[in-house]
Amino acid sequence: MAEIEERGSTHVYKVNRISKEEIDSMVERCVYEEAPYCNAACPLKLDTRGMLKAVAEGDLKKALQIYEKAAPFPLILSMGCEAPCEAKCRLCEVGDGVAIRDVEAAVARHGQQSRLGSIFRTRKKKTAAIFGSGLFPLFLSAELEKKAYPVTVFCEEEDLSAFLHCETPFLDAESFALELKRLKGKDISFVFNCDITPSFFEEKRTEFDILCSSSEVSSRLFPDAAFLPDLMLCEEEQLVTAREGGVMAAAYGAKKAALTVDRLAQNLDPRNNRGKEGPSESRLYTDLSEAVALNRIPKHGSGYTPEEAVAEAKRCIQCHCEECMKSCAYLRHYKKYPGLLSKEIYNNTQIIMGDHQLNKPMNACSLCGQCTVVCPNGFDMAHVCHIARQNMVSTDKMPLAPHEFALLDMVFSNGDAFLSRPQPGHEQCRYVFFPGCQASAIAPETVKAAYADLRDRLDGGVALMLGCCGAICDWAGRYEMSGQTREFIDRELSKLGDPIVIAGCPTCAKELKTHKNLQVKGIWDVLLELGLPEGAHGLDRPAAMHDSCGARGDASTQNAIRSIAKQLGCELVDTPYSGDRSPCCGYGGLTAYANREVASEMTAQCLDRSDAPYISYCMACRDRFARAGRESKHILELVYGTDAGSPPDISEKRWNRLTLKNELLRDLWLEEPLEMKLNYELNYTPEARRIMDDRMILTDDVIAVIDSYRETGEAVLDSTSGLLIARKRIGNATFWVQFTRDAENSYTVHGAYSHRMNVERRQG
Amino acid sequence: MAIERTYYTIDPEGKLQCMKCGVPLVKGKAKFMYLDNGFPVELPVCPVCGFVYVPEELALGKVASVERALEDK
Repeated sequence: MAEIEERGSTHVYKVNRISKEEIDSMVERCVYEEAPYCNAACPLKLDTRGMLKAVAEGDLKKALQIYEKAAPFPLILSMGCEAPCEAKCRLCEVGDGVAIRDVEAAVARHGQQSRLGSIFRTRKKKTAAIFGSGLFPLFLSAELEKKAYPVTVFCEEEDLSAFLHCETPFLDAESFALELKRLKGKDISFVFNCDITPSFFEEKRTEFDILCSSSEVSSRLFPDAAFLPDLMLCEEEQLVTAREGGVMAAAYGAKKAALTVDRLAQNLDPRNNRGKEGPSESRLYTDLSEAVALNRIPKHGSGYTPEEAVAEAKRCIQCHCEECMKSCAYLRHYKKYPGLLSKEIYNNTQIIMGDHQLNKPMNACSLCGQCTVVCPNGFDMAHVCHIARQNMVSTDKMPLAPHEFALLDMVFSNGDAFLSRPQPGHEQCRYVFFPGCQASAIAPETVKAAYADLRDRLDGGVALMLGCCGAICDWAGRYEMSGQTREFIDRELSKLGDPIVIAGCPTCAKELKTHKNLQVKGIWDVLLELGLPEGAHGLDRPAAMHDSCGARGDASTQNAIRSIAKQLGCELVDTPYSGDRSPCCGYGGLTAYANREVASEMTAQCLDRSDAPYISYCMACRDRFARAGRESKHILELVYGTDAGSPPDISEKRWNRLTLKNELLRDLWLEEPLEMKLNYELNYTPEARRIMDDRMILTDDVIAVIDSYRETGEAVLDSTSGLLIARKRIGNATFWVQFTRDAENSYTVHGAYSHRMNVERRQG
Repeated sequence: MAIERTYYTIDPEGKLQCMKCGVPLVKGKAKFMYLDNGFPVELPVCPVCGFVYVPEELALGKVASVERALEDK
């Protein structure tokens, strides 16, 4: 049997096939972490979505905490804010947007204030002085206090109440009292009744590290000084100040000014490293198809009651982009959006020593490309996982275990089970029928019928090629093997006279189309041209059409299959996620081998779309749906009236391929096939067959073990169970078979297991 | 020197017999090897021919989990 070399544990750094830049540009496309529209529009960067969520959950205390992070004086802000967030609320497109400002006001009024900061808080060493009064000094003092600067405010007012009142006459008595309490709770020193003259200012300049002032003070003391609005700074005076009035301008200005203070305090250029400031455009995508148009909760009197605020906040649809998560079982399984998952998978490929914890997720993607279609920005998770696998192979870090069975199956398809012959009577042919390895494995009679039909109705000769197109090794990231398979197929095709390929499987068609100078058609195209054979008929009840991931982006194939189904008289029911948006059955990308759990979830998701029987045009889909217990037909089974029956197990799949080849060789090319008979009798208990299928142990493996036992006599007798247990190392695994010897040349297999570790006796 | 661990105990002794040599298997020294790593273990071995037996529960349990851990190294 052919072997594939296992990797060593010493990693040889060969070629890196993945670049950080490529991953970064892909990660950039994922907008899951993008700020929602309301949040992006807010100059203060208030986490509006988080606040509304807390309110909707009835937790006004938490909502207030979120609000206070952006607005140190929430009542003042909620009354003076111009609410740019409300205009950006996506609900405005279907009905009333959320009344965010009114909810904020209710949060500010009714939310329980959390405990004030600890008195043991460490203060920074650099000190700040603020001259003057008004909204800007008020907000700035709070922002600097939050950053732990010792702040002293010098103002002309006689007390705190007058200081707060000077620019907040719009506050009612109750709100004023609340904000005054909040101000008193802050660690800010005040010096009242100051006469802020140039000499007073210069005197203080020596006492404090950072100087700030209201717009009134700065324009009075330094009327000619140039003001940098982005930094809130008069650079020549090193004075942090403001120019505009109004609540929003003051609050936003105070945020910018506090950052300038931070930079100045560290003797750094205030222009640099400021991050994203102010309002921005959100790149988030939100699906509004299920959003319901509702009116705002009307406001009575002074504002929302807590109950009204909760009701209004509940209207928020919590904008998130989860298009891929909704459609992909793989992403849902790992509960990670593709941007994050891609970063982690990239990091996984770069580990030289240590655990590769993302191997399993990387190998669990079905590479089907559905995410790219459903993502508003075309995120291509399949590409990320595919190049990551190739990279793991190229750097010799890819374990063989997850893909070895599939790769050996491919080697079998293109080895023992491979057949390439021109049509009898032709030396070279105009066409070659390439049914695909799964069709030969699952529905050999359908392959025979299709080939007979093509031979009958096409002129110029139709050759036959039974083998694997190379998708398996491509999915496994084994690019060297892919190259070899491509050369092998090209060589065999050239022997047949470079015919036009008629593919029986959309994945084969897609794969073969990448070969140079190769003309590829689907059998569905040929059938539409020739017309369906006589007697072809569809199901007598409505069925769901499952589109193959091999035909994603290939409307011509999808339409051709639907035309055939229509001509067959099939009544197709609509399913969500069909056509280009179709999910994978779980076979693609070798998910079924690398991660059975995810593959089952993928199959279940496909079947959840409809209760009807499924018609597919990929044999792997047909097989997985049938295995999951659903009535499942390949379109060619309907066209040719063949029934592939219940799904074969892994050994039967190999047997079917070999038998198909031998029968065709015997019947068409009159060649005597190889003898496949054993010279002893070997039976299996049904449980043994089930276990073998589950553990991916082939009858060929069992036969090799029994052969070895018959040759060497090496076995263990377990007196408890009465079973003989023999073993043989085949390739990279050791297979153990539990059996009984019923007669001289007759055995019954009761079970089998395998391990990849090699075991040997140790001396000393 | 690697620490020697016993992953499997023969219980009861004598229930396993080497068919080739016709003698009971005994606790003996063996070594698992995978991806250039070696693990000294004690397993049922034939004292005559040296046949090393890996029981099913060991193969599907500890051996499988160590295999997976090494594959992801």
